[in-house]
Amino acid sequence: MIIIGERINGMFKDIGKAIREHDPKPLQEWAAKQKEGGAHYLDVNTGPNSEDQTVDLPWMINVLKECTDLPLAIDTTDYDAMEAALIAYGKPGALINSIGCEQEKIDRVFPMAAKYQADVVCLCINKVGIPKSAEDRVAMAMEFVANAEAYGLQPDNLFIDPIILPVNVAQEHAVEAMETIRQIKMISNPPPKTTVGLSNVSQKSPHRPLINRTFAVMAMAAGLDSAICDANDDELVDAIATARVILNKDIYCDSYAKVFRQR
Amino acid sequence: MALTGLDIFKQLPKTNCKDCGSPTCLAFAMAMANGKASLDMCPHATEAAKETLGAATAPPVRTVKVGVGEQEIVMGDETVLFRHDKTFYHPTALAIQISDTLSGAELDAKIAKVNALVMDRVGQKIAIDMVAITNCSGNAATFKAAVEAVAAKANFALMLVADAAGLEAAVPAVAAKKPLLHAATAENWEKVVELAKANNCPVVVKGNGLDDTAALVEKVAAQYKELVIDFGNQSQAKTLAEMVNARRLAIKKKFRPFGYPMLACTQATCAREEIVEATTYVAKYASIVCMKADEQALLLPLMAWRMNIYTDPQKPMAVDAKVYEIGDVTPDSPVYICTNFALTYFAVEGEVVGSKIPGYIVAVDTDGASVLTAWAAGKFVAEPIAEFVEKMGIMSKVNHKNIVIPGYVAIISGKLKEKSGLDVIVGPQEAAGIPAFAKANYPHLMK
Repeated sequence: MIIIGERINGMFKDIGKAIREHDPKPLQEWAAKQKEGGAHYLDVNTGPNSEDQTVDLPWMINVLKECTDLPLAIDTTDYDAMEAALIAYGKPGALINSIGCEQEKIDRVFPMAAKYQADVVCLCINKVGIPKSAEDRVAMAMEFVANAEAYGLQPDNLFIDPIILPVNVAQEHAVEAMETIRQIKMISNPPPKTTVGLSNVSQKSPHRPLINRTFAVMAMAAGLDSAICDANDDELVDAIATARVILNKDIYCDSYAKVFRQR
Repeated sequence: MALTGLDIFKQLPKTNCKDCGSPTCLAFAMAMANGKASLDMCPHATEAAKETLGAATAPPVRTVKVGVGEQEIVMGDETVLFRHDKTFYHPTALAIQISDTLSGAELDAKIAKVNALVMDRVGQKIAIDMVAITNCSGNAATFKAAVEAVAAKANFALMLVADAAGLEAAVPAVAAKKPLLHAATAENWEKVVELAKANNCPVVVKGNGLDDTAALVEKVAAQYKELVIDFGNQSQAKTLAEMVNARRLAIKKKFRPFGYPMLACTQATCAREEIVEATTYVAKYASIVCMKADEQALLLPLMAWRMNIYTDPQKPMAVDAKVYEIGDVTPDSPVYICTNFALTYFAVEGEVVGSKIPGYIVAVDTDGASVLTAWAAGKFVAEPIAEFVEKMGIMSKVNHKNIVIPGYVAIISGKLKEKSGLDVIVGPQEAAGIPAFAKANYPHLMK
C-alpha cells in the first residue's frame, strides 16, 4: 500500500505562507515528518492562492528534491505548470496528479508521462460528471488503459482513482468505488494501480479519522494499491499496516506496524 | 490470470454497434472478463478472435502423457512458479540413458541395474521413471534392436533418442508403449512429427534457445500438440534461465508456444556434478531430466529432493504413525507419547536423542496435527491415545507401566490412566524440557 502524504498543499496556512514568501523550511519539515509517519510519496500542491503555478510549483519541487529521497506527486490541473514541475524534478518516477477521462487531457498528459517517465493518477470523471455505477467507472478506467498502450505507457503506470465522495451526502458511491477497484484488476495484465483521495470520504462528518481508516481497509480488501491521505494519522497507518498483514501482502512479524513505516 | 478486459477488447471489432447488448465494445470486453458475457453474443467477432480467446482459456501448461498403464508418466498442467503459492503437481520424471552400443549381456546388465533403482522412503516408493535409449551407434538397425530389447525388459516408460531414420526404424515396434520421441528439430521436424502423429506418441521439440524453440514449437503445434520442449541444453546456467523464462511466460503471459512440459539433459561429465545439476532442473520446472548417472547412492538424494519439492505445502507434513526406537532401548526405557505432525515428532526426537537416555516415541496418528491442534480437535485425547498405544503393543516391550505425555495436555492424564490402565506421567510443556526431565527421572539409564 502506497501512502501519498497530502500535507504539502497551499490550502494549509503554513504551506500557503511558505509559498508566498518562498520559505523552504515548512516544506522541508513536512517532508521529514510525513516520511517518518509512513509516507511513500509526497503530494505537492500550490493550493488555490498561488499567483503563478508555473513559478511556484517548480520552486516547491526543487526545495523538496533537495531535502528528501521520497518520490513526489505533482498535484495540479495546470498542464504548463505540470510540465515545468516535471522538468524541475528532472528524474524518472514522479507521479502526475491528475487527469480526468477526456481525450484532450489524455492527449496532453500521457505523452508527458512517457517523456518524463512519470506515472499518472487518472480520475474516473469526465465533462458529464462523476458516474454513479461501477460499470461506468470501469469503462473510463478502460479508456485510460487503452490510451496508455497507444502512448507507450504500461497499464501499471496508471493510478486509477474511482473517485470517492463524502459518505454523509453520497452514501451509495463508496460501495460502487470499491467494486470499481475490484474490476480494475481485471482490465489488463499487469493491471493498473488504483488510488483514492481518502480524506474525501469523511468530508464534513464527525469522526473523520475513523471513517477514513475504515474505508481504507475495506478498499484495500477490494484491491486498493495507494491512497492520498494524512501520513501522520498514526491510527490510519496502523490500520493500513494491519490490513496488509491480513491480506498476506507483508510477512507477519510482531513489530509489523513499525516495519511498515520503515519501508 | 484469466483473460483481462484489454486482451478481449483487442480481439473485438470495435464497432460499438450494441448488437451484443452492451453499450460499447469496451463495456462488453469488461463484461466478458467478469464472466457475465460470452463471445458468441458478438455477431461480428472474427474466427481469429474466437480462436485466440478460446486458446487463452486453456490451462497455461498442457498435460502430456508418456508410456501406458503402470509406467505412464503425466507431465505438465502446472499453474504456479513457486510451490508455496499452491503446489507443484506432477513430479519430474527421471530418465536414465542407455546407449544402443551396448548389446547382449552388457545391455541386460544395464537394464537390470536401472530396473533395480526402486527404493522406499518414508513409506513411499521412489523410482526411476524412464529409460532413454540413445542411438549412439548411428545405425538404425542397431537402434531398433536395442529399443526392442529394452522395451521387452525395462519396467519404465521409454524415450527414444535418435535422428529421423533411427526413429522411423524403431518406433513402430514399440508404439503400443507410447514412447517419447526425441527429437523434432528445425531440420527434420516434418518427418518426426508425422511419425509421432501416425503412432500416437508424444514428441520432443528441440530448438536452440528461447526464440528459436518458440518459432519451431509454433510450426509444430499447428499440426500436433503432444509436445515436450527441449531448449537445446548448452550449459546449466543457460538451461536454467531458459526454463524459468519459459514457465514464467506460459503462466503469466499465456505464451502458447511455451505452454508444454519441458525436458532438460544434464551436461556435467562427472556423475556427482550431474546429480547437483539435475537437482536444479527438478526444482526449476523440468518435467523430465535425462541423465547418465545410474548409481543408486547418487540417485537416492535426487529422488528424495524431488519428493520434497513436489510435496503439497498446504498439507501438514506427517511422519508414519508408529513407535520409534531412539538409541539402544531396553525394557527399562521411557515411553514418550506425541503426535505424528513432523515438526512435533522431530522436536521430540531431537530432545530425546539429546537427553542421552534411550527411549521409545509413540507418534499417535493425528492426521499430521500438532499436540494442541489435535487435542482441540479431539484427536489427541484419552480414548484414541489409549487405543493407539494398545494397537502398537509397545507396553509389551517394556517392564514398566509408565507413559509420558506432553505437559500442555496434562488435563487428559486422569482419563488416559482410566482408559489405558497405565501410569500417566505429565512431561514438560516444551520438548526442550525433555533432557532435564529424563535426567531427573531416569538417572540410572544415562548412557
